[in-house]
Amino acid sequence: MVATLRAFKSNKLPTNHPLPSQDNKPRSSLEYALTSLDAVTNWARRSSFWPVTFGLACCAVEMMHVSTPRYDQDRLGIIFRATPRQSDIMIVAGTLTNKMAPALRKVYDQMADPKWVISMGSCANGGGYYHYSYSVVRGCDRIVPVDVYVPGCPPTAEALMYGIFRLQKKIQNNKTTRLWYRQ
Amino acid sequence: MSTSLYRQIKNIWASGFQRYAKQMATMGDAKAGTLVGVDDYGNEFYETEDPDEIHLRTRWVEYKDSKTWDISQIEPGWHYWLGYGTNIPPNKVSGEEKTVRGYESPKIHSPNLTGTSGAYVPYNTAKPKFQSWEPFVSNRAS
Repeated sequence: MVATLRAFKSNKLPTNHPLPSQDNKPRSSLEYALTSLDAVTNWARRSSFWPVTFGLACCAVEMMHVSTPRYDQDRLGIIFRATPRQSDIMIVAGTLTNKMAPALRKVYDQMADPKWVISMGSCANGGGYYHYSYSVVRGCDRIVPVDVYVPGCPPTAEALMYGIFRLQKKIQNNKTTRLWYRQ
Repeated sequence: MSTSLYRQIKNIWASGFQRYAKQMATMGDAKAGTLVGVDDYGNEFYETEDPDEIHLRTRWVEYKDSKTWDISQIEPGWHYWLGYGTNIPPNKVSGEEKTVRGYESPKIHSPNLTGTSGAYVPYNTAKPKFQSWEPFVSNRAS
């Protein structure tokens, strides 16, 4: 028994298989060109980070702190837009109630592609304090697909900024034209 | 972000064009100051006393990894110093001033691996409390 367990734990078993999405090596000269094209596209998308403000509760106050001079989101190219038509990112800040859920989905559907969602705070992540309430959605990922979850109740402005940087990294790793070419 | 053009040009002159380009790519500002310390990973920490600098923007880090830099690459002690929690940088802390924790702290600081192949992936080991309904129509008699 011990011997088999040791064999199972040994490093000889190859377990670290890269996913197709993790295969980053360009195979032809055209793919090298597309890699640069993707990098430029992703840089543009990452640097004009325009979120729609979906402030629902106290998390919205921390979201406002990011926009004020101390954290100064404008220096990063982040501008809050009041309409979903002009924005790429939605920051769901606060408790999402059953009554608000159709409105959230409608705003998400009105955003132009490509679009991303940051779920901010424990209420938006999984219901949080109101998880057992009769009128609260247990996480906004039941309504919209979420890219980055920022934990906290509410998260600090620094935590939200870190989530924004994480999402910028995620955007930077997009392979739009390369995946289109490989098809 | 500069308070004056004079400060910007002064800092570019002090740091040189190559370092200025790197600073603009990571911080978006030209900075010049004294090197306070280097952590195990190779990140360099700087401080300046220049009165031209904006309040609370006098300490900064220049990442070793200038392309995929991340604040989680910085050790907690340096992070605390960067956030003006203390005026003593962790490489100057000695003897009794050192923090002693009740639990064992990791020898090597690990950055946030989210988004890489080393990311934490949770899995459930508990038996599910309910099964999904599988519709089944029994054959009619006759």
